[in-house]
Amino acid sequence: MFSRWNWVACAFYLVLSICSPDASSGLVQSCGHIIPESPVLAIGSNFTALCILNESCLDFGNIYASQIIWKIKNRLVPKEQYREINRTVSSVTFNDTSSLATPLTCNILADGQIEQNIYGITVTVGLAPEKPKNLSCIVHQESRFTYAMTCTWNPGRHTFLDTQFRLRYRWPEQIFPDCIPKDVNNSCTIDDSQFFVNTEIWVEATNALGKAVSDPLVVDPIDIVKPLPPQNVSVTSGLLPTVLQLVWENWISDAVMTLKFNIRYRIVGDTNWMEVPPEDTASPRTSFSIQGLRPYTEYVFSIRCMKEDGVGYWSDWSEEKTGITIEDQPSKGPPIWRIIDTSQSPACWTVHLIWKALKPYEANGVILLYELTVRDKSPLSSPVKKYNVTSTNYTLQLREGTYEVTLIARNSVGPSPPSVLLIPASNSKAPVKNLRTLPKHDKLWVGWTAPNNYVLKYVIEWCLMSSSSDCIIEWQIVLGDVQGIDLKGIKPFKCYLITVYPLYADGQGSGQSVKAYLKQDRPSKGPTVQTKKVGKAEAVLTWNHLTVEEQNGFIRNYTILYKTIDGNETVVTVDPSKTEYTLSSLTSDTLYTVRMMASTDNGSRTGPDFTFTTQKFGKGEIEAIVVPVCLAFLLIVLLGVLFCFNKRDLIKKHIWPIVPDPSKSNIAQWSPQVPAKHNISSKDQMYPEGSFTDVSVVEIEADDKKSFSEQDLKPFDLLKKEKSTSEGHSSGIGGSSCMSSPRQSVSDSDEGETTQNTSSTVQYSTVVLNGYRDQTPVQVFSRSESTQPLLDSEERSEDHAGGADSTPQRQQYFRQNGGQDETNTDRPCFERTKQITHANEGDLVGFVQLQISGQSSQPLGLGMEKNTQEAAVSNVLQTCTEGQTVRPETVEENPLSVDEMPKSYLPQTVRQGGYMPQ
Amino acid sequence: MAAAESPSTALRRRDLCSRGIRLAGKMRADVVDLLDAYVEQQGLDASASVAAVEGVPLAAVERWDEQTGTQRLLENLAAYRAFRALLAQMLEEQREQLGEADAGLGRALAAVLLQVSAFAYHLEELLRLESRGIPGEEGDEEEEEEDGPPPPPRLSLFEQKLRGLGVLRELAQWAVRSVRDLRQLAKPSPATGAAPGLAESP
Repeated sequence: MFSRWNWVACAFYLVLSICSPDASSGLVQSCGHIIPESPVLAIGSNFTALCILNESCLDFGNIYASQIIWKIKNRLVPKEQYREINRTVSSVTFNDTSSLATPLTCNILADGQIEQNIYGITVTVGLAPEKPKNLSCIVHQESRFTYAMTCTWNPGRHTFLDTQFRLRYRWPEQIFPDCIPKDVNNSCTIDDSQFFVNTEIWVEATNALGKAVSDPLVVDPIDIVKPLPPQNVSVTSGLLPTVLQLVWENWISDAVMTLKFNIRYRIVGDTNWMEVPPEDTASPRTSFSIQGLRPYTEYVFSIRCMKEDGVGYWSDWSEEKTGITIEDQPSKGPPIWRIIDTSQSPACWTVHLIWKALKPYEANGVILLYELTVRDKSPLSSPVKKYNVTSTNYTLQLREGTYEVTLIARNSVGPSPPSVLLIPASNSKAPVKNLRTLPKHDKLWVGWTAPNNYVLKYVIEWCLMSSSSDCIIEWQIVLGDVQGIDLKGIKPFKCYLITVYPLYADGQGSGQSVKAYLKQDRPSKGPTVQTKKVGKAEAVLTWNHLTVEEQNGFIRNYTILYKTIDGNETVVTVDPSKTEYTLSSLTSDTLYTVRMMASTDNGSRTGPDFTFTTQKFGKGEIEAIVVPVCLAFLLIVLLGVLFCFNKRDLIKKHIWPIVPDPSKSNIAQWSPQVPAKHNISSKDQMYPEGSFTDVSVVEIEADDKKSFSEQDLKPFDLLKKEKSTSEGHSSGIGGSSCMSSPRQSVSDSDEGETTQNTSSTVQYSTVVLNGYRDQTPVQVFSRSESTQPLLDSEERSEDHAGGADSTPQRQQYFRQNGGQDETNTDRPCFERTKQITHANEGDLVGFVQLQISGQSSQPLGLGMEKNTQEAAVSNVLQTCTEGQTVRPETVEENPLSVDEMPKSYLPQTVRQGGYMPQ
Repeated sequence: MAAAESPSTALRRRDLCSRGIRLAGKMRADVVDLLDAYVEQQGLDASASVAAVEGVPLAAVERWDEQTGTQRLLENLAAYRAFRALLAQMLEEQREQLGEADAGLGRALAAVLLQVSAFAYHLEELLRLESRGIPGEEGDEEEEEEDGPPPPPRLSLFEQKLRGLGVLRELAQWAVRSVRDLRQLAKPSPATGAAPGLAESP
């Protein structure tokens, strides 16, 4: 059929080509043909084609075989492959058909090199079919009476040709219709297979290049049946709580084949299947009783079947059916434990009885209630107390003592065996030994060594340690022959406190505890370190322990890392129990950075940096410096005081000279009216007559315009040079006063200036009413050292007060004093000064210096601190100076002047009493 | 004969017997099912009595236990060849009457026909193992043609139905008997004892 179509196509092609209007030769008939016509060739084989020209064309067109050229799909075939057999036949040979393509044409190269197509063929290249391999068949039961046999095979290589596969089978005396696969080439299904007869089955593969037949498979289809699984499976509860009956229907009759079965079952919620022993279900049946089940447990069942002799295939598993066993008595009593709270009082216990609900396979039903019995085992036994509880805990208030607690769980069928817990008065028995833990994947193994005595049970308590909440205790009871259990539900990186109590027949051992981690990690944070105390070369660091949540494992050690800014880091490892550490050998006055690292078995975590600076001086160094200095100072002061004390007479003589009482002087006697007359009227009002007894008039220079430094340096020099001269210029009252001080002498000795400033020189004095340091004011005659000129009014008032009569007297009196100053009155004072000078001539310079400084700016009191001896001398001089600088100011006229006036003058004056009325 | 039987021959015979027993059992089950379907489909009364089918040896036989193995095989073979022809005729009549309307019944009939053919093949093989010549089917056919069932035109449709019912019932009984015969043949020793009978049987 195929070749015929090819021929038609080629002929049509040739007719078209010959009859084409383009044909210049004008040939209108086919002049030849090719043999073979439309061949199908095997890949790789050789092929020869012949082009045979018609005789009629030879004469008509003068064409011969020598003019034939061959083309493959318009590609010229090399002429080496041509062979001219005779004048009308040309052949072309291909050694390998792989190079062939369609169409292969025979053409004539006519005169004028005009190419005319003579004929063309279609060439098909492919492979012969391979022998089908691995033929296998299986009979699927499709319904109760229909069985379809499906056979599969390996079709072999691709042939590039249209290849037909057909499955054939037969009985010895009967051939059945072939099974022709649809859309596939490797399987076919026979709808109606017959059993109990050996059937020969084979596969034939056919194409244009050949035919291949598989090895025959001889099989009785009954031996390759995959039956349908049992149908209508149902589960019924039996009378026994451990039995369920499974009933089903087989969809294949015993006449066809007898079956054996597999029954599998599992508890609902469990993934693991259990299987009924195959030998128990190896015979035909439609029901089976599964025994050894748990009471009050829901099971899932499934069943499958196959031919009884095991030849063939197992069916699929049937649909799953569930059934539940009936209830039974609880198989054991609930595990019970207690927690005793003695916080209220040791003699009064709060006993929390706790027990675990029975597991389903132990409860064997629904637990309706728990019967709790508490028996006091003390000699004075009280009646047994019974409680019915529906929860799994109960709290009792008991007196300290020994009790026996019995617990029974009850379901609808009956009670469980009792669980007995002995609560002794004290846990005085031997504890377990060598308590240890070991992580095992997601479980924590706890092991211990049993005590020497026989142990009934062990109670294992464990709880997750927390810094923020109480330890919630979980517990488990194991039998006495067990020396290790796996704790489940343990979280990694959490610290658990595990305690094991041995329970004896007559008591209870004390608990042994251990802390454990299932898995450790590095701490979640590092310790925060800070300094408690910082010294010169050491620093005391302190820190808080990490909380148990932060530790994530056992803290094996702390590591302190500290360094200076530019120094190397120093590492110190510290025992984890410590919270304080002293860094030593530090550099003083240096900034240190310290941080702390906590380490577990699985890593470390460092806390924040902390900086501190060591001190410049060590402890006691300052004290070592200050104390000796203070002691030395005190010693010096003491020595000075002692010296002064020893020399008090001499000092007193110099500082507090015996001032003659003017009232007892001869002047007072011979001129008693003078003081009254000399009193200024205003002062008379202020101080009643008789309140003061003497008035000293000091004549000083009122040269206050110049600074003291300038003013004083000159006399200082002069003092050295003209000591004798200055001595003669002292002034005082009656020459008895110590007005002839060096200072005064200097002042007086500056005669040039004195002469020039004669007009500005003012002599004044006043009586100041003041108290010393809150003492009762004493009428004091004080002298001002001010050199300011008195106001004219004052001068005038004084003049007026003195009256015209008094003025000459006063002037005379002054003049007399002045005369005495210049001549004789200075002598005693000079001599006394000279005595001092002799006594301590080396101090004279300092003496004068002190005097200058005392006058220049500051109170003399400050100068006292330097040297007691010098101060003493300076007091002498000061007193003398005061005597020169007393200023007759009144409080009313110049109130500020009282405050401004150096107060040190007054107490000295008062204390010394040199000017106090004697 | 049995003494000269090689182990492979004995094995083969046992296998053929075993397979034939199971085939007969299945055939009986299928025929019983087919009977129900046939009665229902043909509108017959299941309790209707049917005369013996001509050309088919009766399954019930006297002194069955005295038969030799060859006798049993030959009677079985004759019966199943007859059944094969009758079932083929029934199948053709079925197709003529119902066309493709009740393909199920036709398929069941064809299945039973195949089983009958297969069982006949088992019997022939067993006879070959017994070194006995297999009766020519053509002779039988000639006999059947001579003495066999009358040609269809001579039977009414109802008679065809009744005859079909009779064929199936007899086949069911033969299936039972065949099982018993083959079980008897499968027993190793009694075959030798049956030798004298074998001589008598023809």
